[in-house]
Amino acid sequence: MLAYLAKRLGQLVVVGFIISILVFLLVHLLPGDPTVVILGPNDTAHNRALLLAQLGLNKPLYQQYWIWISHVFSGNLGESYVTHESVGHIIATGFPIDLELIIVSQVVAFAVAIPLALFTARRPNRPVDNVATTGTFGLLALPPFVIAPVFVAVFAVALKWFPATGYTSFTTDPATNIHDMILPGLALTAASIAVYYRLLRSDLISTLQEDFITMARSKGLSNRYIMMRHAFRPSTFSLMAAAGVNIGALLAGTFIVEYLFAMNGLGYSIVVAVQQRDYLVIQGIALVVAIAYVVLQFIVDFLFTVVDPRVTRE
Amino acid sequence: MDEGGNRMTMPEPISRRSFLSRSAVAGGAVLLGAGSATGLAACSSSSSSTAGTKAQSGTAGINHGTPKRGGTAIIGNDADIDGFYPPSNHWDNNGFLYANCIYDPLMAVAADGSIQPYLCKSMTPNADYTVWTMTLRPGIQFHDGSALDATVVKNNYDALQASLLTGLALKFLKNVTVVDSMTVNFNLNEPYVPLPAGLATQVGYMVSQSMIDAEKGGNSNPTPVGTGPFVYSSWLPNNHFTAVRNPHYWRSGYPYLDQITFRPIPDHSQRVATLQSGGVDLIVSTDPVTITQFQGQSSYQVVDSLSDTLGEPDMSFIMLNCLAAPMDDLRIRQALAKGINYPAFAKLFDSGLNLATTGLFPPGSKYFSQTGYPTYDPAAAKALVKAYTAEKGTPTFDLATVTDARLTRVTQVLQSMWQAIGCKVNLQAIEQAQLISNTIVGNYQAVTYEQFAAPDPSINYVWWSTTTVAPVGKIALNFARNSDPQIEAALVTGRSSSNPSDVIAAYQKVNERLAVDLPYLWLGRTSWSAVADSRIQNFAGTILPGGKPGKGFDNGSFFSTQIWMEG
Amino acid sequence: MPDDRELRSTGSGQTLPTDTFPGQAAVDEMVVMRQEPAPETDEALARRPLGLLFWLALGWVGLVVLLAVIANLLPLPNPNLQNYAAINVGPSLHHLLGTDDLGRDLLSRIIYGARVSLVVGFGAVGIGMAIGGTLGLISGFRGGKLDIVLNAASFVILAFPAIVAVIAIVAFWGQTLAKITIIIGVATIPVLFRVVRASSLAYANRDFVVAARTLGATSTRIVFKEILPNVIPVAVAFGLIAVAGVIVLEGSLAFLGLSVALPTPSWGNIISEGTSNGNLSTNPYILMWPALAMFLLLLSINLIGDRLRQRFDVREGLL
Repeated sequence: MLAYLAKRLGQLVVVGFIISILVFLLVHLLPGDPTVVILGPNDTAHNRALLLAQLGLNKPLYQQYWIWISHVFSGNLGESYVTHESVGHIIATGFPIDLELIIVSQVVAFAVAIPLALFTARRPNRPVDNVATTGTFGLLALPPFVIAPVFVAVFAVALKWFPATGYTSFTTDPATNIHDMILPGLALTAASIAVYYRLLRSDLISTLQEDFITMARSKGLSNRYIMMRHAFRPSTFSLMAAAGVNIGALLAGTFIVEYLFAMNGLGYSIVVAVQQRDYLVIQGIALVVAIAYVVLQFIVDFLFTVVDPRVTRE
Repeated sequence: MDEGGNRMTMPEPISRRSFLSRSAVAGGAVLLGAGSATGLAACSSSSSSTAGTKAQSGTAGINHGTPKRGGTAIIGNDADIDGFYPPSNHWDNNGFLYANCIYDPLMAVAADGSIQPYLCKSMTPNADYTVWTMTLRPGIQFHDGSALDATVVKNNYDALQASLLTGLALKFLKNVTVVDSMTVNFNLNEPYVPLPAGLATQVGYMVSQSMIDAEKGGNSNPTPVGTGPFVYSSWLPNNHFTAVRNPHYWRSGYPYLDQITFRPIPDHSQRVATLQSGGVDLIVSTDPVTITQFQGQSSYQVVDSLSDTLGEPDMSFIMLNCLAAPMDDLRIRQALAKGINYPAFAKLFDSGLNLATTGLFPPGSKYFSQTGYPTYDPAAAKALVKAYTAEKGTPTFDLATVTDARLTRVTQVLQSMWQAIGCKVNLQAIEQAQLISNTIVGNYQAVTYEQFAAPDPSINYVWWSTTTVAPVGKIALNFARNSDPQIEAALVTGRSSSNPSDVIAAYQKVNERLAVDLPYLWLGRTSWSAVADSRIQNFAGTILPGGKPGKGFDNGSFFSTQIWMEG
Repeated sequence: MPDDRELRSTGSGQTLPTDTFPGQAAVDEMVVMRQEPAPETDEALARRPLGLLFWLALGWVGLVVLLAVIANLLPLPNPNLQNYAAINVGPSLHHLLGTDDLGRDLLSRIIYGARVSLVVGFGAVGIGMAIGGTLGLISGFRGGKLDIVLNAASFVILAFPAIVAVIAIVAFWGQTLAKITIIIGVATIPVLFRVVRASSLAYANRDFVVAARTLGATSTRIVFKEILPNVIPVAVAFGLIAVAGVIVLEGSLAFLGLSVALPTPSWGNIISEGTSNGNLSTNPYILMWPALAMFLLLLSINLIGDRLRQRFDVREGLL
């Protein structure tokens, strides 16, 4: 087990290292540089040269990279060229938002997809199943930027159930925090519901054909009991894989929702930083996202071995 | 005067309402100039404003009834700021909204358009306007208890002059010297008559010695400490900024609120929805739809800048690069101006609120005059294009804008109108940083812009001067690269003459020449508005320290001193 | 070529090599399960006619493709023609689906817009499949260092916030249809690589492949004759899902103003226009029609995919 963990940790470091080089190259190779944003119209050749020197951007790329990465290892991610906010602080305040958005949207997706799949898998190709299938495709065709304004118009403006925009951290006020998170979480959940439902339904149908289910049936166990105790667990592999891929894509992929709901999450911050060529912010966030992705995959692996003992590692 | 001369505007290069901000403003232009310029103040407000249930004075946003004390106001602004330190930031309207809480400006614009002392007591020039003597008000303290004295003012200007961002804007300033503990001299390199108006902008906001020292010591993000009505409490970029009542504020009785919070909400419709759902008490907007949507609703107060006639309004326009083909041919600039169907345009975009503009100044402004700016004349436009085509081939150009829903709609309409007169127009949506960079070095043909808001037109000298023109490929602050000696002469008069009628004649001349040269195709004014629920009172009713009413709503910003909450 | 990778047994009862990269086992499992015979495909169901729904779905996809191809020949107004006298009019005989906020005919814009959505959707996935799929096929079959390197590469790229790279690159490289298709296509490579690799891997250890190896068949022959035909069904099924995802992604880029340069219509940018400038309340048709067209297209694509998979599986089962 220790060896396994050490190997995984090693991978984490290697991936983080490669990502750090890739993202560094990407941002520095983009045309334009932060001086345009910082100086605006005061962009004289003289001012620009001074500023580049101040920011250390006049050094050779490999030196800049070395300076950055050695600071990262000492725990210093630098600060934004634009707002001078520390990158560590941007991440510390922004990451919980992404995390919460992912948790809310995924919990809702599972809460809808799993019961629905359990219900329709026993009745494949019947009207209920067809309606559910069609309905979930409908969700797939509704991206968050379409759902969000509609939800806000209905649930915030008309019914006043939820706030239209804003984010309060959980530690500041848990109740407000959860209240703030519902609409953006729902706006993100639609596509996940569709994918999870489809996969689980078809895996359940497949499992239900297996011998051990037939055996259980012959013992006279109730359908409900069979579904929950026998069929569900072995049918969740695809679900986990899809959730791993899906959540991975949502890391920093929630920027449209964060923009619409005025949240300072990592997705919004990194997209704005790309616009402003705010190098250290882009690099810091990308690094954190990459590490989160790797950790997420570890978790998927772990769950994977837990769910079915037949999956063994030599 | 050399490049960068007396510019006191703090153009906002990349408003944080960038990119994702699809809503109206983001305009390529806000970028530069725009709302930022004016800072303070002001305004009068109002105009086409109806509404205002409880606005007892009869004007929306103004209520000079008996104020209630206490309460928290929550403002939904359109973007966050980049920081609180004037020498190293670019403030747009949001910058001024925040700064008006923490700091006080030396000067401010009054409702009648005059420039009045705010933090300073008085300011007087010598005979040739090269030395201005400023006397400070006694007994004013910064939030950390330090005193506002001549030394800290001088140190503020030293920092502003040394800055890469504001140094250029203060190039006319030789230095600031301490005369005695409450008096400083502004020693100029050349006469500058409207200097007080310049001190009503970003360079007029005084910060504490502790901030200056912290910046010098390498702390680029020091806690904001000013003399203002509210004390800094917390700022989480893109989330909120909160300030609490300054119990020792030098203007006795002020402020009324216990706390004020700003919440940047970049998306336009979402900001409106937040007001409607009660999440904020007031929103700031540049989308004319906001005005029409709330006008006449008794539960909301609407204040807009459309009838603001003070100084120079925030203009929205198409900027043409006069040194790049085909725009280097006056016939094409004329054809494009004549090819815009202004009535149809106004109907499509501003719900008829924002009427076609023929120049820099609106009717009612002391600088207003008829300019001879072209009107819609498709036949003449086609003839001009035809003549050009015969000589040089079909005029083909790129029309650039930022990725903003309203502006991309504007460019689609213009493309359609200009193709109808025989041009070939390609639309480009470019990210904001790139767009600014392109305009500075002249790497563009036509671009959407919003700019020029200023308490005094002299502040725009640098954008229109012949001294700031440079060839394509070289950095130029006269982005349109329009060289007109008559404009230059008039601008110099406008800045250095102390005779008001000469100044007015000079700016009328500038305006008239712009209508001939056509570097800018006017689309209208930026329609700033503030919409408030019925709880928040008197946000546009500022009274200056001398007792005069201030300019209450100024291109998206206002003072917070006088605001109070009903119930 | 012998497979020297460590083996593990999977949940679906197959033996697969252990995977060195986190998260991959689950993806492998998902893919392998997809290529098991679909349970509802007992022979009766498989032999059953494809069904009305299938033909309806195929009809819709065919219609969309046909209209997009022959749009120029149809008696449609120019999709970019602005008529300020007819702004935001509802559906009528003159404008079957009504007009948008600039007086442009919505039917025409949606038909021309289908071109962009279809080209981006199928083009990008085509690129992703051509590169990612080919590499996956080889990598899964051959194993060894190549497999480790390619896996590592795809893992690293997946860990990178791809959407950010797409935005950054589109923003400076340009907004033509071809460039956007290529950029999105490249972004789909690692995902499609993983899917195809997993499938190829599963077959690489099947008896009939092992038998072919012992009989001395060349690698090329095995890949093309034995593995590829079996991989195709699952690749098509996942590819179709990817097409749907890409069509939606194009919409997101359009929302940010980063898809094809306006006024060229795409479903994404019409939807985006429908949600901005107050159109949601003044003229919901702008949003509704393209969203409906997209919904029906995604639904149809998936229905077709499902039915075809059932057919393919049967063929495999009969072997």
